[in-house]
Amino acid sequence: MIYNPITALVSFFGICILLFFVFRPKKGIYFLLKKAYSQKDKIIMEDILKYLYHNQMSDNSITTNDLTNALNFSNSILIENLKKMMENELLVLDKDNYKLTPKGNEYALQIIRAHRLWEKYLSEKTGFDKEEWHERAEEKEHELSANEMNQLSNLLGNPKFDPHGDPIPTSKGKIARRKGIPLSSLKENTIGKIIHIEDEPDVIYKQILAENIHLYSTIRVIENNSNRIVFHSEGEQFILAPIVAGNITVLVFEKEQINEENIARLSSLNLSEKAKIVGLSKECRGENRRRLLDLGFVKGAVIAVDLLNPLGDPKAYLIKGTAIALRENQASKILITKINDEK
Amino acid sequence: MNKKNIENIIALSEEMRWQIGDDFHDNLAESIYADASKIVEDVVTKDYQKSKFRLDAKIDKIVTSRIWGFPIMLFILGMILWLTIIGANYPSSMLATLLLDNIHPVLKMVGANIGFPWWLNGFLFDGVYLSVAWVIAVMLPPMAIFFPLFTLLEDFGYLPRVAFNMDSLLKKSGAHGKQALTMSMGFGCNAAGVVATRIIDSPRERLIAIITNNFSLCNGRWPTQILLATIFIGAVVPESYSSFASLSAVIGIAVLGIFFMFFFSWALSQTVLKGEVSTFNLELPPYRPPLFWKTIYTSLIDRTLIVLWRAIVFAAPAGAVIWLISNVYIGNESIASWTVHSLDGFGFLLGLNGVILLAYIVAIPANEIVIPTILMLTVMVTGIQGGEGNGVMFELSSVTATAEILKAGGWSLLTAVNVMLFSLLHNPCSTTIYTIYKETNSVKWTLVASILPVIAGFIITFLVAQIWRILI
Repeated sequence: MIYNPITALVSFFGICILLFFVFRPKKGIYFLLKKAYSQKDKIIMEDILKYLYHNQMSDNSITTNDLTNALNFSNSILIENLKKMMENELLVLDKDNYKLTPKGNEYALQIIRAHRLWEKYLSEKTGFDKEEWHERAEEKEHELSANEMNQLSNLLGNPKFDPHGDPIPTSKGKIARRKGIPLSSLKENTIGKIIHIEDEPDVIYKQILAENIHLYSTIRVIENNSNRIVFHSEGEQFILAPIVAGNITVLVFEKEQINEENIARLSSLNLSEKAKIVGLSKECRGENRRRLLDLGFVKGAVIAVDLLNPLGDPKAYLIKGTAIALRENQASKILITKINDEK
Repeated sequence: MNKKNIENIIALSEEMRWQIGDDFHDNLAESIYADASKIVEDVVTKDYQKSKFRLDAKIDKIVTSRIWGFPIMLFILGMILWLTIIGANYPSSMLATLLLDNIHPVLKMVGANIGFPWWLNGFLFDGVYLSVAWVIAVMLPPMAIFFPLFTLLEDFGYLPRVAFNMDSLLKKSGAHGKQALTMSMGFGCNAAGVVATRIIDSPRERLIAIITNNFSLCNGRWPTQILLATIFIGAVVPESYSSFASLSAVIGIAVLGIFFMFFFSWALSQTVLKGEVSTFNLELPPYRPPLFWKTIYTSLIDRTLIVLWRAIVFAAPAGAVIWLISNVYIGNESIASWTVHSLDGFGFLLGLNGVILLAYIVAIPANEIVIPTILMLTVMVTGIQGGEGNGVMFELSSVTATAEILKAGGWSLLTAVNVMLFSLLHNPCSTTIYTIYKETNSVKWTLVASILPVIAGFIITFLVAQIWRILI
């Protein structure tokens, strides 16, 4: 072949484009092939079980049509699998509606256990972003054996809840009932605690994440109408659309238990102010949490801003006689009450 | 105990676990800390509140201020680099005169006198000795200047402030502020830069810092850049601007390296390193006057000598290989010239040539011997006058003479530019590769760190060569 810089460039970009189409994240040919190869009956069956379980919890009845619409499998494969599952007494057909048998229920709970344990693991022991937990757990839940789940659970200190606030079923298939009501249905001036943030659908979950709303934070609803819901939490004000607020579950306090109104986030502390640490938010997890505790960010410690940064972030805080720099997203997960110096 | 009782107890314990809840571990930890701090408050008296913080606070205000923070930082780094490059010239040339010009001939003579056959004499003294001597002469002086200066700043307490200032820039590419320090350390020596990443305690950010450290132009590569820029870049502009042009070209390459560091930090943190745990914290210790002699001593022992020793260990076999490939013949061609001819095609595609590629392959142990190897191979392949003989590396004292040999070897401005780029973007030297393996304990990350820059180098030089040939 005769050399010519233009042909060389063109063939180079040709190869680049080819590689792009093969290895492009998720949609690349390589990944599609891998996925198609791994679409075994086990995965289809488990996805059906999980879907039925979730809908039974919210009292929806499910027909074959619903399944085809909700799950991404072809109709023939689906029907074949449903038949097989009925033979194995995992489901029964009741007037066009599929219902889980006790055996099917138990199986579904184990998949949910695997999913939630894996999410907990990702949140505590790895650096993956919140947005990725769900999707990765969707794949991993089909791979974990009962033994591996128990090991995982031990490693994580037998957690009760996943990082979204969902209860994790035990190995015996026990599961705590979720309490609380959606944020969108709270009356004004209600005080409560966020106990669950739903991670599906993706679009709404990303909006909640962008707002920096923290799980297990105490909130007070300020305004609630068909346009928007305004509430205060940890010294900040949040405004959400009702459809977004519907994906946040709140446990309402019966009485005015504790007045947590003067709690704020460390990120809101100004240069001349002093504060006392109230605790670390539950959103501060794993290695990060332990590191902060090691450095002395514990209940009762007095803290002040030591240095501002020429670029704004991070700031240095003075705690126990040491200057320690923290990034803004870390400081927002440390809860404080400001001290008024009027002596 | 009968079986039913045991089952009851287990059931009860599971029930209680639910009641205690997830906060249990945290509460325990917090109360221990709270107790400890209460005891400290009762027992320890402190009076640093008054005196100590005043001066520290003043220095901190200046070095982290909006106006002065960055200029001070750039000035100090520039000073250190300047002192290193300029200051190392004299001891380097003295060492070179001693080891290369005086001792080398003596050793060869002694060898001949005690009856070594020519091949053993050549192998030992032209091969092994020469490359070791070269590495020592070029590498030791800059490192002996750079590292003590750097360690003094570290001891004084200034470096954590640099990390503090730089953090939000580095955060954007998924890295830790302290990477600014390991990167600067890499300007001295990549292997030392990799060791320095121990200050980063977050696994993901540490790996990023290790893998991208090679994009800092190290001491072994500065002389190559300066030489080529002087010969080729300085020549295309009017004479009065030539030193300015060549200086800007060298700085441009170093800045390009910083750009690649940012780019690959970002790319790595988005892809292969996504799952590694990432944390951040940065302590700003109080300033203190550095313990001058102790610092000098430990930095010489810990950093300079250890790195130098590793370099020597790797340079010796490299010298042997260079001598062997130029003196072992297959048919009537030496291995070296045979390899050069077979690499020529690929080299041309990248705007380089076979000699350069072979030099970079045999000079993996030390960047310092790339130029001597290129000169030796060029003389050998083209058959022009000059040089010291097959397999004997040499360098010329005059820049013009070096330029003549390179031009006789077919070098153009494009070749020079691409060698400068390739010198920035190629695999780390074997000392660094070994150090990366020691630090990460993982073959996978060592491979990534070694191969990633070469691929980048191939792509960049290829693109530059094609576009150059289309436009000019």
